[in-house]
Amino acid sequence: MKRLLVVGGCLLLTACASAPSHPQDPLEPLNRAVYRFNDTADKAVLKPVAQAYQKVTPQPVRTGVGNFFDNLRDVYSAANHTLQGKAELALTDVLRVSFNSTFGLFGLIDIATPMGLKSNKATLGDTFAHYGWQNSSYLVLPLLGPSTVRDGSGILISNSLEPATGVFQTHTQATTARVLDAVNTRERLLGLETVVEGAALDNYSYVRDGFLQMRAHQLGLPQDKRQQEEDLNIDELVDDPQDASAPAANDASGAAVSPP
Amino acid sequence: MKKLFACFALLFGLSSVAHAADTPVDLVRDTSRQALEMLSKDNGKNSAKVREQLISMVTPKFDFQRMTALAVGKDWRAATPAQKQQLAKEFETLLVGTYSATMTRFKNAQIDIKPNVLLNNEGREAVVKSEVTLPGSAEKKPINVDYTLYKTPQGWKVFNVTVEGGSLVTIYRNQFGEQVRKSGIDGLIKSLQDKNSGAKAA
Repeated sequence: MKRLLVVGGCLLLTACASAPSHPQDPLEPLNRAVYRFNDTADKAVLKPVAQAYQKVTPQPVRTGVGNFFDNLRDVYSAANHTLQGKAELALTDVLRVSFNSTFGLFGLIDIATPMGLKSNKATLGDTFAHYGWQNSSYLVLPLLGPSTVRDGSGILISNSLEPATGVFQTHTQATTARVLDAVNTRERLLGLETVVEGAALDNYSYVRDGFLQMRAHQLGLPQDKRQQEEDLNIDELVDDPQDASAPAANDASGAAVSPP
Repeated sequence: MKKLFACFALLFGLSSVAHAADTPVDLVRDTSRQALEMLSKDNGKNSAKVREQLISMVTPKFDFQRMTALAVGKDWRAATPAQKQQLAKEFETLLVGTYSATMTRFKNAQIDIKPNVLLNNEGREAVVKSEVTLPGSAEKKPINVDYTLYKTPQGWKVFNVTVEGGSLVTIYRNQFGEQVRKSGIDGLIKSLQDKNSGAKAA
C-alpha cells in the first residue's frame, strides 16, 4: 500500500505544476493532502499507540529497540558510503555493525559510539545527492512524513533490497519489525506536534520549510537562493531612520554590503 | 527535523548577552550558563517562576525587530514603522510563548560553545557555533545550534538561531509571505494576534 502511494506520488510529479508557494514544492496540493492524511492517522493511531508504548516500556527497553534498528541502518549506511566512494566512513559503519552485532548483543547496545566509532548514517537519497541529484522536490510520504522525491525513491529502492531479509525470516516478521520501528521512533518524537502547533501559522508550511532547510544543510547544499539574497540584505532591510536598533549600519560599510 | 524541534527551547533558554560579555562567544556562553543555572532550580513546583525569570533574563539579548525583519523578508520594506512595531511585538510573543513552554526539557543539557567565531559583514556580524547534548535522550549525536549576532551600541544581540541548519526565524518566511499576499501586512499582524490570543486561551 505504502509503495503504491509513493509510486502514485511520483507519477503525479508531472501532473501538478501550478504556481507553487515554495519553489521546491511543485507538488504542494498533493503534499498537503498526504500531510492531512498523515496528521489524521497520527492522531487516531500512531500517537496513542506510541503513548501507550511509552507507558508500558522502560527507557532502557526503548533505547535497545532504537539501537537495534539503528544497527540495521548502519548496514545500509555502509553500502551507501561504499557507493559514494567514502571508504573511511564505510569502514566505520562496518566496524560499528561488527561490534554492535556481537558484543552489543545483536545490536541492542550501541557500544561502538562510546568506542569512538561515530554514527554517520548515509541513505540512498544521500548517494543520489552525491552523484548530482541535489535539488529535489519536496514530497510528503504517506505515514513516513517529510521527504523529497529523491529521498523517497531511495527509501523505495532500499526497502526492496532489505538487508533485514537476512535477519527476519518471514514477511510477517519484517512487517512487525517495521511497525515496531515506527512506534519506537514516534515515541521519541512525542511532544513535537505541540511545538509545531504552538509555533506555526501554517503547520504544513512550517514543517516543510524546516525540513528542506535542514536537509540542504545535511547535504552541504547552499540554501535557497532567493532566501540567501534577502538574508544578505538584512542591514539594508532594517536600516530605517525610524529604527534605532540598527545604528551600526549607518557607517560607510553599510553601503558596501548591499550590492546593487 | 526532530533536532530542530528538540532545540526550539534553546532559542530562549540559552542565547543571550551578559552585560559583562563583550565578545559574541562570551555572550552566548554566559547566557547559556545562566539559563542552565536557572533551570536547575526548577523543582517542579516553581516552574512558572523559573520560566518568568528565564524569559526576562534572555529576551533582552535578542533583537526582535531585526529578527522579525529577517522572518518577513522583502515585505518588511513595505511596512510602516507602526506596523513594524506591531509585527515585532507579536512575533516576540509567539516565539517566547512557544519555546519557553518546552524549556524545562533542557534542564540537563550539556552545551559546548565553540571558541572560534565566524565574523561576517566587516566584523559587525558573528556566528557562534555550539553543540548541545541531551543526556538520557535517545539522540546520540550532539545537536548543532548556531547563533547569529550583530553589534549594537548596547552590545551584541542575537537575531537568528539555526538548529542543524534549520533557521527558527526564516522558517516563517513563506508563511508570512503567504499571509501578506493574501491580506497584506495588516492581515499578517491580525493572524499573529489571533495565533497569540488562541495560544493563551488554550
